[in-house]
Amino acid sequence: MLLTTASAVRGLPVVTVTGGEDVAEIRDIVYHPEAGRVVGFTLNKRGRLSGRRREVLPASAVHAIGRDAVMVRDVDALVEPDAAADELGAPDRDRNVLGDDVVTEAGVSLGVIKDVVLLVGGTGEVVGYQLERPSGGEGYIPLIAQLAVSGAALVVPNATEEFVRDDLIGLGAAVDEFRRRLDLP
Amino acid sequence: MTDSFAGAIGRKVLSRATAEEVGNLTQLLVDVGARSVAQLVVGRGRKARLVAWAHVTGFGPDAVMLDDAASLEARDADAAVDIDLLGKRALSEVGNDAGKVDDVTFDPETGALVGIVVGSREHPAEALLGAGSYAAVLGAAVEEPAGED
Repeated sequence: MLLTTASAVRGLPVVTVTGGEDVAEIRDIVYHPEAGRVVGFTLNKRGRLSGRRREVLPASAVHAIGRDAVMVRDVDALVEPDAAADELGAPDRDRNVLGDDVVTEAGVSLGVIKDVVLLVGGTGEVVGYQLERPSGGEGYIPLIAQLAVSGAALVVPNATEEFVRDDLIGLGAAVDEFRRRLDLP
Repeated sequence: MTDSFAGAIGRKVLSRATAEEVGNLTQLLVDVGARSVAQLVVGRGRKARLVAWAHVTGFGPDAVMLDDAASLEARDADAAVDIDLLGKRALSEVGNDAGKVDDVTFDPETGALVGIVVGSREHPAEALLGAGSYAAVLGAAVEEPAGED
């Protein structure tokens, strides 16, 4: 399982599969914490200092998120914000999970969310979070089940604590292991 | 029999009607949808001229034969929809860089593309999904380990 982070996706070109053209670049990721997935992307025009693009890219129109580009079938994947779902076209500003504290049901803080971890080759499935650990270091947790999320904290099952890993490679294995433990596909 | 873009570039281009040399082959432009050579570029810079594949009467190992020197047309940069694949960034359809297009093999009888060479591997022409100013997009199979195709 190849993983990447939302910050690594920022700035990637948006390239059409059928045309081989770089039609935009990723400005920011719009994440829906309750759904545990990226709903889409805001965009910049291509090239340095060229500014924001009005259109947005719904995750449903993404062909694949790669290490070097976000692929779309063609330029029709880019839509006006009005034409996109509200969660993408007019996202709720309080829904940002960055800075949220991740707390287990038992009340143990695992750390503060620094970044969102995505599947490479996917279309926006979020498989985990990068945390700043209470001890100060960096850690990664698989996002398999979250019990509740607010603007300030995210409650996860107690078992999550056993699956804190040091890097993205460790996280990939932890996601599979955690899924098996919970009997998920 | 296949020929390759990298091998063909620099080959002299002759008019069959007059046996005169009209220049050297500098580019092969591809119709990506048809996966075939659409046009040849003869000469460089301001002297570059285009000729449609239909006017090629023989694409041989030593020379490219045209029906007539009059088939060569001035190059209109804006009208160019056919793509020069050589050297283009190769991107897999899942968004990972695969290297660059180092060579393209084709059937010199028909102009049909046979393979796309990226690094040390040749992928079948069907792997080419699209190409434009930024990249040539290849099917996800380009990321499979070598030796499986």
